[in-house]
Amino acid sequence: MPSALKRFDASKYTIFIILAAGILIASLLSENFLSTNNVFNVLRQVAVITILAYGTMTLIIGGMIDLSSGAVMAFAGVVSVIVYKQSTSMVLALLAAIAIGVACNLFSAVFVAYLNVPAFIVTLGVMLIARGAVLEITQGQNITQLGDFVLIGQGNLGWFPIPVLILIAITAVVWYLMNHTRYGRSVYAIGGNEEASRASGIPVERVKIQAFIVNGVLVGIAGVIFMSRVNAGLPNAGVGYELQAIMAPVIGGTSFSGGVGTTLGTLAGALIVGILSNIMNLTGVGSYIQQIVMGLIIVGAVSYDIWSKRGKVRTTILKKREEKGSGEPTVTGSVG
Amino acid sequence: MNTWLKRAAAAGIAVAMATLSACSVTTGTPGSDNSTAGGGDGEQKDSYRVAYVARAQVDSFAAWLANEMKAEAENYDDIELEVFDGQADDEIENRMIENAIANQFDAIIIQANNAEAQRPYIEQAVAAGIVTITTNPRVEGIEGASSVDANPYEQGAVVARLAVEQVPENAKVVVLNGPGGNMHSTERRKAWEQEFFAKRPDVQIVGEDIANWNKDEALTLMEDWSLANPDIQAIISMNDNMATGALEAVKGKSGFEEIQAYGVDGTAEAALAIEAGEMTATSLQDAAELAQLNLKTVHDLLTGAEEEVNTDVGNPLITQENASEYVEMYKETGQIS
Repeated sequence: MPSALKRFDASKYTIFIILAAGILIASLLSENFLSTNNVFNVLRQVAVITILAYGTMTLIIGGMIDLSSGAVMAFAGVVSVIVYKQSTSMVLALLAAIAIGVACNLFSAVFVAYLNVPAFIVTLGVMLIARGAVLEITQGQNITQLGDFVLIGQGNLGWFPIPVLILIAITAVVWYLMNHTRYGRSVYAIGGNEEASRASGIPVERVKIQAFIVNGVLVGIAGVIFMSRVNAGLPNAGVGYELQAIMAPVIGGTSFSGGVGTTLGTLAGALIVGILSNIMNLTGVGSYIQQIVMGLIIVGAVSYDIWSKRGKVRTTILKKREEKGSGEPTVTGSVG
Repeated sequence: MNTWLKRAAAAGIAVAMATLSACSVTTGTPGSDNSTAGGGDGEQKDSYRVAYVARAQVDSFAAWLANEMKAEAENYDDIELEVFDGQADDEIENRMIENAIANQFDAIIIQANNAEAQRPYIEQAVAAGIVTITTNPRVEGIEGASSVDANPYEQGAVVARLAVEQVPENAKVVVLNGPGGNMHSTERRKAWEQEFFAKRPDVQIVGEDIANWNKDEALTLMEDWSLANPDIQAIISMNDNMATGALEAVKGKSGFEEIQAYGVDGTAEAALAIEAGEMTATSLQDAAELAQLNLKTVHDLLTGAEEEVNTDVGNPLITQENASEYVEMYKETGQIS
């Protein structure tokens, strides 16, 4: 067997095979599915969740989590709407949203990084704080009459919807950060083994704070796109989005035990969920059935992903045994 | 720690603490001030403590109603109103009612999250001799309890009757529903069935789903439906939020210039959309009127002027002809500028 083929690791691409199969099946079920309009439609619909998911993915890879992303997104988005209505400056509105996202995430980061409070608990608290704050600011009322604020969520640049262009740009940035910077490598290392990372000189606290800051920026941008898309400042926006933002990376192969996950896998996970929802709407499947199907697909996709990689783990362990001649395997990193 | 990190951490804590201190959502337990006790027996007092257990502050209509209740209570010198947030959770709402009973409020106004889940607790309040009112929705069949509501069937029906005349022949329509099992949604949908679909068998529903009262969910559904059915002629929605969300999906799309959209609630956004000719009609569920009627009812019951009251607010229809009146109303309340 040629060595290149021998080295080919099909399990890495499982999620993309599932995505391709999903696209194929959807295109057979509906003639509209592969139309340009619908492709942009799906990409517009998944943009907000995918951007949130990149932030959550970074934290999960680093051994943390964010349960506040939906509420902080609503807080950041509503503040950006208020700033826009006061200033009519899109730049200021975007900066305000990012500032809120980063401030909320810095709050979480300090407790997680320096006080070792579990991210699960801190971000649960921040979820309540952010939701309370946005409801207090708006007194629970929607803000309307946004004017040109809608351009960022509804406008096009040439053929391309602006949210899709933002999604592509953010995908490239997050991919670069995770794969080609010391920061990205450190996040993977900390999630894989925090103590070993510390021993090898990685500034664990600083990297955790940086990961939360990245998440805050992404949540802020997602908030602006969301509010612009719906043409309103909705204080009750994003309820349950934190779970969808966790679902996409997990479907895409990110391991809850940390240290494992890819940007493109997360994109594929978000697209699988978006395509499923889209095709079920196109073919008139009701929302109760949609929930059942979505649940089955999630369990199925993740199970298949784990099962397909099981062989790889066994092979790795056996190889290590052979290399050592005898004794127990010494694989320490998580393989997921 | 690096200097910039220290600064960033300090800034983060400062902002977060400021946020925390600014946050005062009423999710607490009904207070334990026992300075006054009992009620509902017409006994005259200088001050009455009234608990309003709201369904959820994240529900924009419920939040509007809670705000109006607080504002209206200011007009009564002898009523002290405390608002509690049921957080759209039956267990939390039931706990709020139990605590209000235990803390001997003179009256409890309950906006049920789920009428059947709250029923035993509402009955407990009545049994404890506390003036009890159910509102938005009314919880039927509780002896001794009063009620103030908008009739959800009529809210849907007034719009549906207009649609019978206005929706084009053989039109393709989509229907957006509220959360499964929600009484207001099911009653409004029933009204559409009996007042519109039964009388217009030519109309075809090409998409119907739950969008949970949410604008973003309706937007996504309509984006997909409008691709599969580029000749949809009307959006029939059980509230205005979903109607305006669906309209966002087809705004500026060729083929949808004449699309009609019907909602319920009469929100500020819907009034503006109707005035601009983007939306067709809605019926007003006036939170201010509901609040006025609730406070008047609770006052009459506490002072013994009435023994039991069951009353409804009106359901005025908003169309392009009168939308400007409602836009003005919302401008006066500061909801729009």
